[in-house]
Amino acid sequence: MLLRFLAFSIAVSFPASARADDNFKIPSDVSQVLGQRCLDCHSDDSAEGDVRLDAIAALGLEARLDLLNRAQEQLFLERMPPEDEAQPTAVERMRLADWVSIELHKHKASTLEKKLQRPEFANYVDHDKLFSGEFKNLPGFTYDRQWLISEFIFNAKFQRILQGNTRANRKGQKVPVLGSHRFRSFSLTNPFLLPNRSGVRYYADIDLSGGHLSSMLTNAQKTSEFITGHLVKRNAKYLPAITEIMALENGHQATLAVRRQFLEDFIARLCDDSYGRQQAWLLPQFVPVALNEVKALEAGETYKKAPAHVALKLLENLAGEDTVYQVLLNPEHENKSDEDVRELCERTWFYHGDHERDIQGRMTILRDYLPEIRANLEKNRRKFKLRDYQPLDDDEMEIIHATIRKHRKQGDHYAELIDKCMAQWEREFVQERFAAGPPSDEQLRKLVEQLSRLIFERSLDNAETGEYVALTRSYINKLGNLKAVQKLIQTFVLTSEFVYRQEFGSGVPDEHGRRLLSPRDASYAIAYALTDQSPDEVLVEAAESGQLNTREDYKREVMRILKSRDVYYLIDPILEDKNYPDNTTDTAIRKLRFVREFFGYPKAITIFKDEKRFGGDRLGNATARLLSETDRIVEYILEKDQNVFEELLTTEDFFVYHDGDNTRMQAASDRIKRIYSHFKDLDWQNFKKEDLLKHQEFLKEVKMRSVDPDKLDARNRQGTTIQLFKKSMTTITARLDKGQMEAAPYDLYRGYGNDFMSGYNVARFFNLQLDHWDYQTKQPAKVANRKGLLTHPAWLIAHAKNTETDPVNRGKWVREKLLAGTIPDVPITVDAAIPEDHLRTLRERLASATETNYCWKCHQYMNPLGYAFEAYDDFGRYRLEESLEHPDNLIQKGPEQRGDHLVDTQDIYRTRAIDTTGYLDGTGDDSLDGEVRGAIDMAQRLAKSRRVRQSIIRYAFRYFMGRNETLSDSKALIDAEQAYVDSDGSFDAVIVSLLTSDSFIFRKTITD
Amino acid sequence: MLNRKDFLKTSALGLGAMALAPSFDQLFAAPHSQAVPKRFIFIRKSSGIRPLEMALRSFSDSDKALDEKKQPFAVSLDKHELPKWLRGLDAHKEHMTILQGLSAKMSENVHWSFSSVMGCFKSNRNTLSAIKRATVDFELARLFPSPFGHVELSFAGGRTGIVDGYSAPAPQTRNYCYADPETARNELFKSVLNPDAVNSDNDMLSFLQTKEGLKVGSIKGHERQRQELQINSIDAIRQRNSELIKLSGSLAEFLPELDPVHADGGPNASTPEKQAAMTEVLIAALKAGLTNVVTYTIDDLGTPITGLPGNETDRVGIHPLGHDEAFGGVPAWKTREQIRISHVNQIKSIVEALQQVPEGNGTMFDNTMIMYFPENGETHHGIGSESPFLIMAGNNCNLNISGRYVRLPYHGNEGHQTLGNWYTTLLNSHGNPIKHYGDLDPEMSRKKLPQTGSIKQLMG
Repeated sequence: MLLRFLAFSIAVSFPASARADDNFKIPSDVSQVLGQRCLDCHSDDSAEGDVRLDAIAALGLEARLDLLNRAQEQLFLERMPPEDEAQPTAVERMRLADWVSIELHKHKASTLEKKLQRPEFANYVDHDKLFSGEFKNLPGFTYDRQWLISEFIFNAKFQRILQGNTRANRKGQKVPVLGSHRFRSFSLTNPFLLPNRSGVRYYADIDLSGGHLSSMLTNAQKTSEFITGHLVKRNAKYLPAITEIMALENGHQATLAVRRQFLEDFIARLCDDSYGRQQAWLLPQFVPVALNEVKALEAGETYKKAPAHVALKLLENLAGEDTVYQVLLNPEHENKSDEDVRELCERTWFYHGDHERDIQGRMTILRDYLPEIRANLEKNRRKFKLRDYQPLDDDEMEIIHATIRKHRKQGDHYAELIDKCMAQWEREFVQERFAAGPPSDEQLRKLVEQLSRLIFERSLDNAETGEYVALTRSYINKLGNLKAVQKLIQTFVLTSEFVYRQEFGSGVPDEHGRRLLSPRDASYAIAYALTDQSPDEVLVEAAESGQLNTREDYKREVMRILKSRDVYYLIDPILEDKNYPDNTTDTAIRKLRFVREFFGYPKAITIFKDEKRFGGDRLGNATARLLSETDRIVEYILEKDQNVFEELLTTEDFFVYHDGDNTRMQAASDRIKRIYSHFKDLDWQNFKKEDLLKHQEFLKEVKMRSVDPDKLDARNRQGTTIQLFKKSMTTITARLDKGQMEAAPYDLYRGYGNDFMSGYNVARFFNLQLDHWDYQTKQPAKVANRKGLLTHPAWLIAHAKNTETDPVNRGKWVREKLLAGTIPDVPITVDAAIPEDHLRTLRERLASATETNYCWKCHQYMNPLGYAFEAYDDFGRYRLEESLEHPDNLIQKGPEQRGDHLVDTQDIYRTRAIDTTGYLDGTGDDSLDGEVRGAIDMAQRLAKSRRVRQSIIRYAFRYFMGRNETLSDSKALIDAEQAYVDSDGSFDAVIVSLLTSDSFIFRKTITD
Repeated sequence: MLNRKDFLKTSALGLGAMALAPSFDQLFAAPHSQAVPKRFIFIRKSSGIRPLEMALRSFSDSDKALDEKKQPFAVSLDKHELPKWLRGLDAHKEHMTILQGLSAKMSENVHWSFSSVMGCFKSNRNTLSAIKRATVDFELARLFPSPFGHVELSFAGGRTGIVDGYSAPAPQTRNYCYADPETARNELFKSVLNPDAVNSDNDMLSFLQTKEGLKVGSIKGHERQRQELQINSIDAIRQRNSELIKLSGSLAEFLPELDPVHADGGPNASTPEKQAAMTEVLIAALKAGLTNVVTYTIDDLGTPITGLPGNETDRVGIHPLGHDEAFGGVPAWKTREQIRISHVNQIKSIVEALQQVPEGNGTMFDNTMIMYFPENGETHHGIGSESPFLIMAGNNCNLNISGRYVRLPYHGNEGHQTLGNWYTTLLNSHGNPIKHYGDLDPEMSRKKLPQTGSIKQLMG
């Protein structure tokens, strides 16, 4: 009853405040309850837990509110009075809770109410009440709110603004992808990272802080510089107002750039032409640089000269490469000696006025590497071109000649002359711009409007435009045109409108004070519910044309986006960082992401694991593939969209080293089989180059990696062609000589460069030995001892520790995510650690530490569920016995990894039989609750549970609404469940139901 | 040892404090605050430090044997001669610690470690998403706030301007750094050199503050608080800028003078000149109280090197040198030694400059720790089995380390300490009670050897 009262009052009354006078008095009936039920333990100096209720009236306000808050939480969570004490009647409980609540409301000080809005407290709203129908008539709504953008929306916004088009591989095809977090050639700091938890990561309860803002200041600056410095120049239609405002300046810059380049390339020739015989007199006196003397090595000393490519790179870094090649390419210098070439280069650099240190560096390289540079020139004849003299147009040439003549002084280096010319032209251009005056108001209005469309995706009204125009004008006065435009861009990016999603009602309130989301806000709410992108054109059009005002309108748009397969979205930013292919989906990304976050399996890639214990190398690649293939399974289930929750829990459709394209995989396997068939009966182990040459035609038709029949003398760091051929044949043979029907289609040996498909070691997670793997070319397919995502290695790793399993966390996940249960935080008095004992299994050790009275109060809700997963180790590998990994138990040390990927490098330890017996309770169904024989048994029972279905729907509600459910959302939840049932388990139906519910479409103004 | 309860208590206090102020206020503070802070300078070098390069030439036979066999022992430095490249610090041996035997296998090794050597995680090359936590320098900066919070200087890649750094203020977040002395000086002393730039920021912030403020009147409840928080955040940044402008007069006395060769990023400055100038800026920033924590990437494999003694007219590459490929007739090991000597010269400059500045009953150096270490372990292609550290610490150092050569048990053995243990030691001894900083070492885990917590023998 108390729970009902509190949940109800929180649901329907917050944040409305109760008003009462501040004189603290305990009503007599409350005092009586306290005296009878609480003061026995909580009075005088020996009060339990240092909590004294008898002296509450004497406390100062702050201390009193703190005590009341603690009391309210204990009452709400039914932790007090303790189970073994006499319990108050329902009426007494209600009266006590009522009084505590009113006292806290007087000061707007209830921390419980705030806590109950946090995701970790969401399950405290009574599950049975939510689905009982008792509260179905409460009007659903969400309060008007601003919702801070997520890390994904941040990426999408900047990808849009900066036109960061990204492409990725999908089934071997390059496709454009939305959602990349790589922005052009510079990096932005994403301050909106979501918490790393399973369940729902993106909630509307986060506020913008100074931390966000300080990161955004730098992001805004970088963005503004990139827009003005690159995007506007590349595309005149991008922000034409900037092009217009900057037209004169940009024109000047372009002219200056052309003149400078021309002078840099041809100043010597121009001066020769202009000054003829005088030229030699005008040039400065040539002084060659001094170079370090090469000293003889000391006795016993060795010296390995850095290779030519290193020296060539250094020459390039020293900006000396161009001069050297121009000299060498000039037919006039064809027969020049090395010494002459060096002097020609040095004179060129000297007369130009290059820094002495640069010339020294270049000349040292020419001293030590000129023969190699000449050889490189011959090797790359096509790459290097002699620069042709092409004069600029006559007017420009006249200006250039006149300016040179004006500034040339005897002894000037060319660089000084060029600088003087450039300085004069720059001065002239500045004066010209000054005379042209500042941008007009009309130009600034256009600028403001275009920036608003680009950054806010809306037009400003006149008043706002006026404000921004005035601001821009003040920037121009202080900073000049370019910096002012940049500052204006920064201002737009730093407004709250850019970083907050706006979700406000509009129009006339109904009888419950609710208003429909404004059409524009609705378009964003729908778009961001399903994707990370702004509304697409259809949605914008619907909002602008009055087609987003009814539940049916919402339904139409939600269904359209769910059905659309026109766009590819990036799935995982970590996989993107790893340059992992196949990391995209054409399913509305937030639908797929819900399953990822709910199950929490992406965390697998962040758990630091030991390759030695894994038994193979390139664990990172294998884990990346594992994660990606879990996404593929989820995508497959969502695409079928039938019995989705049950399928997620019990599917037998797995992908193992497969990109989802059966045709491609079959062809890849066939290729390997052909190679095997061709060579298997030959004595390939003893082949020499000549033997391989006999198979030239075959090898041209059927490619083997790094075995080019036309270049059999080639070699790379892994070995010669013949060695690589044998390495490949060794693995191919191992993969097909035991009667396997198909071969895993990874390429033929471990080497550099791109494999056909990285991560073949993913098989090890599924207990598949690479040399005994009867590969399934047609997938998804059944895998032994696996059923559903809870038996998938990705989920199992994500819910394990670095070196051992984690039954507590695995059980906690099942309790909270599937059974809508609650587990209190670990008391701070508990130093939670599993005792070390290398003769017992982890389960046995955990049991000894947690199955005591005190610990068991909480652990009873986790351990029996988690024990069922002990059939899988911390890599998610199926097992019957637990390896007792301790030096004292070592039986055999595993081999070191030396390049043979078929070898298992694990150490072998003594083992002990595992016990996978668990106990399921809390499904609300007696036929399902009870002892379970292991994870698969438990998953099958969970899939049949109505409570599990409802629990998943509760999480879906939170995910799409960005908040916890309350009793006033009861109808939305019940309708969503019904939609699921009526549609044979369609998750799309659940989403449509939630996004057309009152809770989503109606907003209510916060009164105070 | 702090137990879990203590840790949670302290964390809760920290969280409470965070809730009262914008999170970046954990780092920022007004200049010249009253309490004497501790200062930390992390100097990262590339291409490894070979443990033998740190070994003392005058070891007794038994100590030498222990050192070569990687057995634990410690000797006092005052009775020993330092290796040639460290002799610039001869006068400061009582403040020196040579710490051998730490491992860094949980961070990225081979050529580059990027952010990971100071964060103890695998960095997956230099990817943002792999950054698991704030790096240790930022954790220390939180303990000793300052106007800039944290300053990162870097010669990585031979870049100039403000570029991506390696330190991380938070998970999946990359710091910015100053990549040449002129930029560092201009940015750190911007309020002195270019107050207009700071003011133009303030104009923008003022506009935003007014604009956001107008919205407050029309909203209530949590949304109002949310809006007010945004306004307060803007105000906090404005206040900080205003403070800096107000202080520009007193900051001016610390403004370092740079040679014209450093103009425009200093394309013609030699490596020793660049290093000396960057060190000057670093010292000035510390003396002005602009920061208490500096991370200084003195080189990486892409840093162009020029003007070293013996190779004065050469450009040399650190990467080829790591492969024993040499330049200008000078054997690679000699050039590598010259590179290290140039680094030691910077450490010496910092020590001696800070020793000249009175602070409390001593000098600024008394409250300073300088750590010089390889980003990638024990050699050019390090695997992290060792990560030697050279530490210079003043008289008020919270650790008991100075004046010693300490070799810890080798990786994978009882008593071995990882980089994570070392950083935990730094954090614990300066007020952060974290139980263990960083990822755990897989081999130590596999062998069931204890590996969490601080290094007891170094705690003060």
